[in-house]
Amino acid sequence: MGKGISGLEQMYHGLFTVVLIFLAVMVVLCLIRAIIGPRVADRIVSVNMMGTMVMVIIAVLALMLEEGYLADICLIYAMLSFLAVIVLTKVYMGVYLEKKEEEEKENGGD
Amino acid sequence: MAAIEWIRFLVGAFFLLCGLAIFVVEMIGVFRFRYVLNRMHAAAMGDTLGIGLSLVGLIIMSGFTFTSLKLFLVIVFLWFSSPASSHLIARLEVTTDEEPEKHYRRVALRDLERELQERAAAGDELGGDAPDARTENESDADKPDAQTVEGVRSVGAAVGKGEA
Repeated sequence: MGKGISGLEQMYHGLFTVVLIFLAVMVVLCLIRAIIGPRVADRIVSVNMMGTMVMVIIAVLALMLEEGYLADICLIYAMLSFLAVIVLTKVYMGVYLEKKEEEEKENGGD
Repeated sequence: MAAIEWIRFLVGAFFLLCGLAIFVVEMIGVFRFRYVLNRMHAAAMGDTLGIGLSLVGLIIMSGFTFTSLKLFLVIVFLWFSSPASSHLIARLEVTTDEEPEKHYRRVALRDLERELQERAAAGDELGGDAPDARTENESDADKPDAQTVEGVRSVGAAVGKGEA
C-alpha cells in the first residue's frame, strides 16, 4: 500500500496496526459477553459478533500483507460462521423440543 | 498523483474508522441491554453497517482490483445472511424461554386495535368538542401504559413467589 510515496507507506502501516489492535480488544470483549451471557441465545449472538470482527481483521490483513487470497478466506469465513449459527440454533432447538416431549410423555404416563 | 493517493488514504481511513465506531456502539448496546431480544438489535447493526463501512473503506484503499471485488462479495453475503441468522436466534430464544412473562409481553395486533377503538369511542362520549376529546385521549393514553407495566411487574413477582 502506498509504495513510492514518502510517508504514505508508514501511514498505512500505522493505521492498519491500530485497527488490528482495536479489533482484538473488541473480540476479547465479545468473548467476555459470551461467557457471562445468561442464556444460550446470548452466547450465539456474541459468537456471531466475534465472527464479524474476525472477518474485518482478515480483510485488513489481506491489504496489510498484500496477499489477495486472504480475501477468499474472508468470504469462506463468512459462510462458515453463518453455517455455525444455523447448526447451533437448529441442534439446540431440536434437543430442547425432544426433551420437552419426553417430559410431557412421562407426566402423561403417570 | 501523490495528492490523489493521499486523498484515497484519508477517505478509506475515514470509512474504516466509522466502521470501528459502529462496532463500539454495538458493543455498548450488547453490554447495556438487559435481554437477548434487545441485544440482537445492536448485534445486527454491527453485522451489516459496521462491517459494511469497514470493508468499503478497505475497498477504497485497495482500488479497482480482484481483492476489492471479493470484499464486496463479503458485504453482499452478509446482507443476506445476517437477517436469516437473527431470525433463527430470535426463534430459538422464543421457543426455549421457560418464563416469557418475566421478559416480554405477548400482544396480538387485533387486541391493540380493539383497545384503540374502545379508547377513541370513550373519548367521543366523554368530550363534546374535538380538542377536549383529544386531550382526554392523551391523558388516557398515559394511564393504561402505566397499568400494563404494573401488571407485568406483578405477574413477574407472582411467578417468582410461586417458584419460591
